[in-house]
Amino acid sequence: MNALATKIGPVTFANPVFLASGVVGYAEEYSPLIDLRRLGGVVTKTITVRPRAGNPPPRIQELPFGLLNSIGLENVGLERYVAEKLPRLRELDVAVVVSVAAATEDEFRRVADALAPGDGLKGVELNLSCPNVEDEALDLGRDPRFVERATRIVRDALPDVSVWVKVTPNVTDVGEVACAAESGGADAVSAINTLVGMDFDLDTGRPVFARGGAGYSGPAILPVALRKVWECARAVSIPVVGIGGISSVEDARKMFLAGAHAIQVGTALYRDPALAERIVDALAEHPEWARPGGKPR
Amino acid sequence: MSADRAAVSGAPRALRARVVERVELSARYFLLRLARPDDMPDPLPGQFIHVDPPGADRFFLRRPFSIHDCDGETFELLVVEAGVGSRRLRTLSSGDPLAFYGPLGGGTFPPPDGRRVLAVGGGVGLAPLFFYGARVAGGFRGAYRLVYGARTREDLFLDAIDLAGRGVELATDDGSFGRPGSAVDAARELLERDGADVLFSCGPTPMMRAVEALAREAGVAHLASLENRMACALGACRACVVPTRRDGADRYATVCHDGPVFDGRVLDWDALPRP
Repeated sequence: MNALATKIGPVTFANPVFLASGVVGYAEEYSPLIDLRRLGGVVTKTITVRPRAGNPPPRIQELPFGLLNSIGLENVGLERYVAEKLPRLRELDVAVVVSVAAATEDEFRRVADALAPGDGLKGVELNLSCPNVEDEALDLGRDPRFVERATRIVRDALPDVSVWVKVTPNVTDVGEVACAAESGGADAVSAINTLVGMDFDLDTGRPVFARGGAGYSGPAILPVALRKVWECARAVSIPVVGIGGISSVEDARKMFLAGAHAIQVGTALYRDPALAERIVDALAEHPEWARPGGKPR
Repeated sequence: MSADRAAVSGAPRALRARVVERVELSARYFLLRLARPDDMPDPLPGQFIHVDPPGADRFFLRRPFSIHDCDGETFELLVVEAGVGSRRLRTLSSGDPLAFYGPLGGGTFPPPDGRRVLAVGGGVGLAPLFFYGARVAGGFRGAYRLVYGARTREDLFLDAIDLAGRGVELATDDGSFGRPGSAVDAARELLERDGADVLFSCGPTPMMRAVEALAREAGVAHLASLENRMACALGACRACVVPTRRDGADRYATVCHDGPVFDGRVLDWDALPRP
């Protein structure tokens, strides 16, 4: 029996180590460098009903302790994702969690209807907290009532898929949003998305990014993520997927100690694509490190 | 003539190479010559590798470097010291390991195939244009001509690379060597005198923008090799995009995967970020 098998709602994943949304695109781009089949799964880049061009460059800024990004949900759209990306991921034999963002309940219905279970599609992560878009409607993750309704729509349409809700850290009480996701029938809460940050160009005196704000990720946000995961784990009885700043096996262990049932690795992959596989190897050797809150799974 | 697609060269690999030597070129520039790993696919001109500069923490992105030269035994990177990553590379010496993955880049400079190519380079933009002359076009005096410009004589690497001896046309802003003035002015003269079927460029954005204008005036094609900050360098993260003249969801193209070599007519030159 696989000591790392991780059951989240109706789906059992091979292990609790996932790649975070956005960082590895639609995953196939990273297939030459990462053995994706060895992971619990991959959360693909957020898709929206219609394709989006994303934000004008510059889109990233490296800082001494983390990375700012303002990609702006550039994506191929729901139709092309289903027609082109999902079949490719099926060929690669990857457990796929598709990240989706939508602005209205009707759009969530359209997304859910287009995504059939099977075909390698194991989960859906609702990205209700992208900080990098003009459209306020795509940043509704602060409104618990909307979170609950959106979750319910996807839950009811996809009963056999693991439904995760990714929450924003940019709220006073992350537990309240997590509870709303649980009430809507979510199988897990993913915490956290990027922190909203900003930077200035001293030569021009203007913000680095056209939109002003940007999403902050990387090692700097690990302590914030640990705390938010800890709060979520106390607020809900469904699993928490811990995300934010994991750059080493040690960081991953802390995320489990904070109460995570599973983890996602993101920004650190840019420098260290082998990190996720190294964490899988370490957990295989020490399954006790993957106990949520230090308690048996 | 459009940029070649590099699918033939095989998937990128995570590799590690030993430094053969670091050649100091000038106050700002140096060459890293590395032993080529056996399983490193053949790079094409314009392709690059994504380097993990040595040294510890507090560092989240790799750095892309265009291949400056490559044979069966070694390959070279031309580096300008511009920040913490390149400063760390300058600490390397013979025998040190360097982790990278590559070769990367989908758009590359295609072989001349009977066309007369005139290339214009500046700064580290020399790398793919030198590689092209040295390994693809059979030198710099026949179907392939290269004009290279620098601020002063010091940054023409006269002793270490001997561009002049190889037949590269040289220009300096301060007139301390070669033709006084910009590389673009020198290229314009060559184009008017000898003609060309296609222009290549790699260098500072204003220089490449001027080459695009020259190409339009002369009614010839222009392939430009761009650089940008990159995160994944694999086409996944969409961080290194540049604006194209396409509308809608296809407006942005990635330098790492759609480029780095682009057909000049595809790019929205007016919207390219200022350096």
